[in-house]
Amino acid sequence: MKTRTFLLAMFMLAASSVVMGDGMQYELRVDGLACPFCAYGIEKKLKKTTGVKTVAFDLEAGKVIVTTEESARFTEDEMERLIEEAGFTLRGMTERELP
Amino acid sequence: MWHACLFRSAVLVILLLPLTACAWFPPEREAAYELLASWGGKGDAPGRFNEPTGIAVAGGEVFVSDARNGRIQVFDFDGRFLRQIGSAGEEPGKLGRPMNLAIARGELYVADYWNDRIEVFSLAGEYRRSIGTSGTGPGQFNAPGGVAVGKEGDLFVADFYNQRVQHLRPDGRFVRQWGETGRTGWTAGRFSYPTDVALGADGTLYVADGYNDRIQVFAPDGTFLRKWGGPFALNIHGPFRGWFATVTSVAVGPRGNIFVADFYNDRVQKFSAEGRFLTAFGSTPRGPAHSAIAVAVASDGSVFVANFDAHRVERWQQPAGGP
Repeated sequence: MKTRTFLLAMFMLAASSVVMGDGMQYELRVDGLACPFCAYGIEKKLKKTTGVKTVAFDLEAGKVIVTTEESARFTEDEMERLIEEAGFTLRGMTERELP
Repeated sequence: MWHACLFRSAVLVILLLPLTACAWFPPEREAAYELLASWGGKGDAPGRFNEPTGIAVAGGEVFVSDARNGRIQVFDFDGRFLRQIGSAGEEPGKLGRPMNLAIARGELYVADYWNDRIEVFSLAGEYRRSIGTSGTGPGQFNAPGGVAVGKEGDLFVADFYNQRVQHLRPDGRFVRQWGETGRTGWTAGRFSYPTDVALGADGTLYVADGYNDRIQVFAPDGTFLRKWGGPFALNIHGPFRGWFATVTSVAVGPRGNIFVADFYNDRVQKFSAEGRFLTAFGSTPRGPAHSAIAVAVASDGSVFVANFDAHRVERWQQPAGGP
């Protein structure tokens, strides 16, 4: 019984790690980030979006860097819509899984 | 016939060219301002800033929106830290991203861009009340960027993402609006991301029409009076005198002159109430951010500027006479 419980616990742990997964990091290229009215608008929009963990800016490179929680994923179309709702145009996006 | 018409048009253009050049490339009509003092630097300790975005003056004190630190800091005219107002958060009395400020009737009005409301404090820092909620309806806001307060306590709010300016009673009841909710426009009375508002002594309303790169002016009865900023004030941005590249703040000086923070051009421009260019001044940024984001004018003519790029406050003055 103890062995079965242990195996079940191990299986659930392994399964949960697959479901949870690691977060993602998205780098969004957006024009006009030097103006805080723009940057704060994008930050406000993204921070209210379910699954978004952090939002940071690289003004030098004109990029918004977004990390997500656990299994949250966004397509480029979804990101484009969010950025458009903040009043801007998404010029490009790269993504990578966080270690 | 056709040739004669063409000839007449060409002559007209040649005759008008010097006139338009004067109108669109005006000379400097006043002495330059000098930088008297500056204070701050990046940080979260008292006296330091993390992105200053708004400024107001009253009674010998300077109030500064310290946006990423979620607070207002108060200084004397020499930059000595006096006190902090508010702290970061979402609850009433807390600040998300404080932007342009107004001081009226002994109270401080803060446009809170993230919490979609106007927060009101006593000048000593006591929280008094919040006006507005998130939304697109009358009296609601979507990222208010600036506020002005009339003699009777009525509020005028630059409602950034709603593309409008709202006129509200002191308790937040809707009176009227300029602009069409949620739709940008470049014709007179329409806006593209309005960032700030200011009132003249007679109740004339000046609107910083942010991404239209212009100032729009409305009479106390609400009718459109005039606009300026580049050729025909039709969203043509540029670095020339009297042109703008994203207008982020507007203030009225003690003599009725208009001071405009011209953000991407890193300068404050000074105009007569009718929009005649007078002079310009500002600090060169290190980049990639820009410097002059907000402006306020004291009764002695000192001009205070929030320098976004350097995380500093600057005090400027005109050597030979005030505004």
